[in-house]
Amino acid sequence: MGIPVGMISAIYELPLNTGANRVIRGARIEHVCGDPALGPEKDYAYGMRIVKAAIETLQTPVERPTLFNPLEMDPLPHLATAEAPHAT
Amino acid sequence: MRLELGTFNVREIAFGPRTHFAAGRLEVNKEEVLRAVFNDVRIVKADLEIARPGEPVRIWPMRDVIEPRIKVEGPGVCYPGICGRSIATVGQGRTHRLAGMGIVEVANVDWHGAGGDYVEDYLDMAGDFGQIYPMSRLQNLCLVVEAEPSLGNESQNYAVHQAALAVNDAIAATVRDQEPDTLEVFELTEVDPALPKVIYIQCVHSPQAMSGSRTAFCTATYGMTQLAPPWWLHPNEILDGALTGPYRTAFACSWTVANNPSLWEFYRRHGKDWNFLGTIVFRTEWTTQHEKELMANQAAKLARHLGAQGALVTWDAGGNEFIEVIRTVQACEQLGIKTVFMTTEDVAADGAPTLLMPLPEADAIVSCGFFRTEPVDYPKSPPQQRVIGNPQKVTGPLRDRFVPTAGELDAPPKVEDFYGFNSLSCTE
Amino acid sequence: MADPLRVVHYINQFFGGQGGEEAAAAPVSLSEGPMGPGRALQQALGADGRVTHTLICGDNFFNERTDEALAAITAHLETARPQVVVAGPAFGSGRYGLACAQVCLAAQKLGIPAVTAMDAENPGALNHRTQVVMVPTGETAAGMAEALAGVARLALKLGRGETLGPASREGYLPQGRRVPFDRGRPGHLRALDMLLDKLHGRPFQTEVPVQMPDRVAPAPPIADLSRATIGLVTTGGLVRKGNPERAVSRMASRFHRHSVKELESLSGNDWEAFHAGYFNHIVNSNPNYILPLSFMRDLQRMGAIGDVFEWMYALPGVGTSVANSRVMGREIAQDLKAGGVDGALLVST
Repeated sequence: MGIPVGMISAIYELPLNTGANRVIRGARIEHVCGDPALGPEKDYAYGMRIVKAAIETLQTPVERPTLFNPLEMDPLPHLATAEAPHAT
Repeated sequence: MRLELGTFNVREIAFGPRTHFAAGRLEVNKEEVLRAVFNDVRIVKADLEIARPGEPVRIWPMRDVIEPRIKVEGPGVCYPGICGRSIATVGQGRTHRLAGMGIVEVANVDWHGAGGDYVEDYLDMAGDFGQIYPMSRLQNLCLVVEAEPSLGNESQNYAVHQAALAVNDAIAATVRDQEPDTLEVFELTEVDPALPKVIYIQCVHSPQAMSGSRTAFCTATYGMTQLAPPWWLHPNEILDGALTGPYRTAFACSWTVANNPSLWEFYRRHGKDWNFLGTIVFRTEWTTQHEKELMANQAAKLARHLGAQGALVTWDAGGNEFIEVIRTVQACEQLGIKTVFMTTEDVAADGAPTLLMPLPEADAIVSCGFFRTEPVDYPKSPPQQRVIGNPQKVTGPLRDRFVPTAGELDAPPKVEDFYGFNSLSCTE
Repeated sequence: MADPLRVVHYINQFFGGQGGEEAAAAPVSLSEGPMGPGRALQQALGADGRVTHTLICGDNFFNERTDEALAAITAHLETARPQVVVAGPAFGSGRYGLACAQVCLAAQKLGIPAVTAMDAENPGALNHRTQVVMVPTGETAAGMAEALAGVARLALKLGRGETLGPASREGYLPQGRRVPFDRGRPGHLRALDMLLDKLHGRPFQTEVPVQMPDRVAPAPPIADLSRATIGLVTTGGLVRKGNPERAVSRMASRFHRHSVKELESLSGNDWEAFHAGYFNHIVNSNPNYILPLSFMRDLQRMGAIGDVFEWMYALPGVGTSVANSRVMGREIAQDLKAGGVDGALLVST
């Protein structure tokens, strides 16, 4: 049995076209999981949204290459709304 | 825009007491020309050497090759905008050029300081590998130049290129007031309205993504290297060097862009086979899907708006830049523009596609061969008697070893015939 | 005149007249002479070939009892001794296409050349087109006559021991054997001539046929994320600071794995990016952008996932050859599987 893979990429069309089945839209090539221009708090929140979305896809059935847009999802909604500050 | 282009054919270059050109022979007063180079205080070392086709000479590092061109009449300067040169719109009046020769910029300066992009190409004037490059068949006047080492990488890049342009200006001036061997008129004249309208979409790498800088040195559009939306250029502007400067590989240098056989062939058949609408230059290596698709759509929209019924798309890079390029092909086709795409290919393995992201609309592709040299079994380049430039050549995947430049060398990792100079291709 | 080539034709239960889905469990049977579309195949072969036998097998029987089916088919082929085997055409039928491909492989193993026909997206084609000659068809049997014409032509060539030319010329699916080839005319002239042909509606031949990549069946979703172990992989070229492992920055042929067992986050003091395909400096100050360990540990603390796999995998994904990508991907997958990993995140730049 295969292992589901959530692939996070800012240039998501390439993985979709080459057969990756769970593709999550990343921010930008140079900083895929977050955006330093947003300042530390918002950068972290954005990155967290992306990673949560990616984890969510691992429990989502798909039939073909599918794009998941973190900003259009409410991933892992059962988690507490206050996101834990990240360890440094 | 009407441009008269006067061509002077160079058969020989020699050093001598006068810098002048007559009957195919360019004589160069070294001191005089180098004085123009040393006018720039950023230059600390410079010399000129001559490399002739067939000679056992190796040039390394080969950063750029420039065809000497000069404005005789009309606004602006050739190779405008770059290195602080006038940005006046070019492409009109009269330009003289010295064909059959190149000015080779030889310097130990990598393209930018962020890593990943290094000068990789050497030029052999004799031998199998050199033959691949049209520049090995030129009489080459090589400027071996060093900028002040305490300058930042970006400043060093512009300093050494400016030095090469100073040589260009001095050399091209020799023919400013002479009668050329041939004179051609370049004009997008009115043609039979029944002829199909065609456009050339030339995708050009921008160093902005890799370098993190909007002003990193690279192929420039009127001196600008940053990522920019589609920009229409009259082909005369390109003949006057508006799109100039080197990129990472030998096939994308000032000489190959100004002598782009695709551009010249488009022009040659204007009024016969088609109505040539000019060139859309489209800078590449955007780093989000959003931007890549936007640029592709806008390039196609511009082409359509100009009336294009057909298009040729080329590019000059590798990697993820392919996405915006192939999306441009697709966007053009979706707007009803019949599109041909010219590209190199990656190596096939177990039936995998040789293009990064195939799309069904890209149904008319011309292949200029594999871009990797390793699977094509290029022989190693044999030892050469003479080296122009650095006697040590960096080598190894971590670029941490040096070998004598004059010795036997591996073929450079890539040969990317972007503009279709050669006939090597691939087939099943 | 030479004797007609002996051809054995493989078809499924439907084309063999045994019925539709209800007959899909039919075992292998052998009949003399052509049956179903085999008759049209015989016509297409003309006097140059003779369909001596027809092998029929139910699609479900073949796919569920493959070894048994192949054993029977092999035995029949050894008895019938054809000079070439034709399977299908399968068009868009996936089970039939897979069966046809495997029948051809079995024939090839016996030294008998074989050819089949199916739609380019048929799983039989996606999985086997590089090993078996396949004439491309549409998805439905509406294209039967055209498919059989192509198949017959190639069957005769193969049966005579002739080497086939390039796929685009001979009319079979590209097998990925692209080779350098001097076309004798510079690319720019070929490109502009092709443009002119295209503009005027004249036929032209692309030099690179459109060939879509393989598809992989999606793995089933994780049932309980809160107990799942998740592995992290990146092609962003993450290395330990100073690159002591001497990883390359492009054209990788190996990947590196690093333990994150004791780590809560990746620090720019200990890690950096070494990748020749993007601007590395941003990741250098925060490596979690390409290997999101800090986020994963937070999710672990929140109970969203069970654990982060102790090994993470990194390589620089620029200029990587497809062949090396396949090998590395397979090895990483095996590692993850052996480690009991339930799911993985792959971040690419």
